[in-house]
Amino acid sequence: MKLKYLLGSVVAASASIASAAFAETVLRLDEVAVGELDPAKASDYADSILMFNVYDTLVLPNQGGPGHSGHLAESWSSEGATFTFNLRDGVSFQSGNTMTAKDVVYSLDRAQALGSGLSYLFAGVSAEAIDDSTVQFTLGAPNAAFVASMVRLPIVDMAYVEANKSDEWGESLLSGTSAGTGAYSVVNHNPQEETVMAKWDDYFLGVADAAPDTVRLRYGLEAATVRTLIAQGEHDIASQWLPPEVIKALSDNGAQLLTETGTGAFYFKMNTTKAPLDDVNCRRALASAFDYATAIRMIAITDDVSAGSPSTGAIPVGMFGANGTNMVQAQDMDAAKAHMAACSYDFADYDIEVSWIAEVPLEERFALLMQSNFAQLGIKSHIKKLPWALFAEQVSSPENTPHISQLFVNAVTGDPDTLLYGMYHSSNPGTWQSPEYLNDAEVDAFLEAGRAAGSEAGRQEAYAGLNARLMDLAATIYGFDRQSVFAASNRVRVPAMTDPSMAFGLDGLGFSFRLMEMTE
Amino acid sequence: MSQLVGILVRRIGISVVVLIGVSMLIFAIARIIPGDPARIALGPNATAEQIAKLRGEMHLDENIVIQYGFFIKDLVSGDLGTSLYTNRPVTLDIAQFLPATLELVFLAGVIMVGLGLPLGILAARFRNKWPDHLVRALALLTVSAPSFVWAVILMLLCAYYLPLFPIAGRLSDIYEIERVTGFLTIDTLIAGNVAAFLDVWHHLILPAVALALSGIGQAARLTRANMVETYEKPYIEMAQAYGFFPHRIARIYAFKPSLIPSLTIIGLDFAAMLGNAFLVEAVFAWPGLSRYGVNVILRKDLNAIMGTVLIIALTFLIVNIIVDLLIAVLNPRIRHSTRVQS
Repeated sequence: MKLKYLLGSVVAASASIASAAFAETVLRLDEVAVGELDPAKASDYADSILMFNVYDTLVLPNQGGPGHSGHLAESWSSEGATFTFNLRDGVSFQSGNTMTAKDVVYSLDRAQALGSGLSYLFAGVSAEAIDDSTVQFTLGAPNAAFVASMVRLPIVDMAYVEANKSDEWGESLLSGTSAGTGAYSVVNHNPQEETVMAKWDDYFLGVADAAPDTVRLRYGLEAATVRTLIAQGEHDIASQWLPPEVIKALSDNGAQLLTETGTGAFYFKMNTTKAPLDDVNCRRALASAFDYATAIRMIAITDDVSAGSPSTGAIPVGMFGANGTNMVQAQDMDAAKAHMAACSYDFADYDIEVSWIAEVPLEERFALLMQSNFAQLGIKSHIKKLPWALFAEQVSSPENTPHISQLFVNAVTGDPDTLLYGMYHSSNPGTWQSPEYLNDAEVDAFLEAGRAAGSEAGRQEAYAGLNARLMDLAATIYGFDRQSVFAASNRVRVPAMTDPSMAFGLDGLGFSFRLMEMTE
Repeated sequence: MSQLVGILVRRIGISVVVLIGVSMLIFAIARIIPGDPARIALGPNATAEQIAKLRGEMHLDENIVIQYGFFIKDLVSGDLGTSLYTNRPVTLDIAQFLPATLELVFLAGVIMVGLGLPLGILAARFRNKWPDHLVRALALLTVSAPSFVWAVILMLLCAYYLPLFPIAGRLSDIYEIERVTGFLTIDTLIAGNVAAFLDVWHHLILPAVALALSGIGQAARLTRANMVETYEKPYIEMAQAYGFFPHRIARIYAFKPSLIPSLTIIGLDFAAMLGNAFLVEAVFAWPGLSRYGVNVILRKDLNAIMGTVLIIALTFLIVNIIVDLLIAVLNPRIRHSTRVQS
């Protein structure tokens, strides 16, 4: 009898081990709708997650430090405005086609022709396939940020697109299927509901067994739904857009918190063309009156984790030109009063308009904080809620741009050029990023020097100068350096978002599924 | 029969005129919503040249009458254009999202009628007694809270604390069903997968109940009020005097005339659920047309707005035609008045 039980136990244990060994692991996460699968149109966070997993780029940011390493490219060199990349041999697309320099040229041409997403990064750039494994890019002018911009040029399988397309650039095809070299291929894609991806075992770098076999990226889940799903063990990683109190509640219930220290910040942008903010002393008064410490407390999630870190200046910590972490900004009402006294306008004659974007409820809290801070100086202000679409329309003219606009902005390539040039160069006034309408020759010169510098030291010097000049001009109140926080189940390990030495420093790249480990 | 055909033809004629009116109105309103659709579609980093190019492709620089002409020309050929929100043909989006909403709304409608009317009859039959008080209290409770509140409450009660129902979606991950009609209740049967068929119904129940609850209360209250009024009519007193059984009086003499006003309201409620389903769809992660509709309005996706509104308007009109026909069947005076008019 005992032998029978023992035998039974052994069989049961073997079956259990076998089923565990062969059980498919599924990672479930969510993002805001919609998921754009076409890599040439990718711009949002969900799009980036899809792009970084289904496609590959010539270079990737180094993990845990500055600079870039080759990915599809083995090496590169530059001479003036010409960059030459040597491609890795033996890389296959998911279709089985071999990746060559022609695919790189096609990917650039396609992105430029469609003109969507982040294609503006490649304006004025042309590419030529020197041979199958060498591609040469020619720029209009030297640009030190060009290599960084390569992280936004996913390489598309030209032969596959040409063979299956129903329109000139295969837009219909690539909005529903994958044509990349990435570690995951698309099984099913519904842009409003879910994208299902499966691990591609022939990935050129190989994929660890512990990486999820299947990934289900869901779109548009409500906070209450995500909270219930995670509590029931039916969801693994929540989007960063959950309210802080929900992330905290999930953390209190045992969820782990993943962080992605980005390359961006939260800004209060002042319209420098509108009285009284066309006077630098008036702007300095407002910047000094802002309560930075309370702003940081408002975004704290737990005692240890926050959705941001204190701002030290105009450039986020970790980028070229950033100030040290000992230079945290703080409210200084005495300085504010002194600046106010030096201001050529009487604030009593003005009612400062503080806008907030309707889709980001957190901004209303910051608007109320500003109103309270300004009231301490006797400055009148009113709060205006603006839907994003209306805001983007209004900032196209200085007269319609509010006195103060609140914005999250990040460097789409991780390079300070893509964060700062669009915000502050006088050639880009009146975009959603530049409601300051700043027009300063010194700022322009620093930005151009940062772009043209041939060495890291040169870039550091240019951006440090820019930082100092921007702080002096006080066109922007630098609220905090942004950090994305994600609540996650303990079924998944994400080293790129828990270990700073593994972090990429680029939004969305932390969600490289091939680098994740499923524990169940 | 010919009277009913006459009513049908008249209603269809009116519906076509209404649809044209709706298309003109929405076409104009969609263009008044703040924001440049091309700028929104291309994203915040698009250059002025890219925006100008897309505006040209969308005829946005033309006169609004000419724009409407382009829209009608494409509509006649079955082309609703491309959605700037999903970057796919609007017809494809509607084909994908509409069945999910129709499945949800249809079941919610059945629940609303199946529970609302009997509860109303029960309350009227036992008016001013405890069943009446109970039904009225329940009806008040369900009517006073909007669908999305019920959605969250039901999800917490029946999926979180008591894990009886799934939390999100239309079908569990373990099933891969080929989408033939888009109606998963049908597609699972076509696939011959009974387990998946049951799973679809399992997913449907909670959101459908959440959507139906306020309608149930309204239908019950309306039916009760109409029946109580009918009970005071002399012919009911006469039936009672003749000694007819109370349930016969309720079923035949009180319910049928009371149903006509209830039916009109239920018909409107049923069609309105298409729009109201948005929040329930959001809570249960239901990939339906209502959610799509709200998202495309927020993004000023002109083609998708037109497509969604026209489909909802069309469904609304179809339901109204069915209700009108039912009322005509139930009420001979309406059939007669139609004959006299014609």
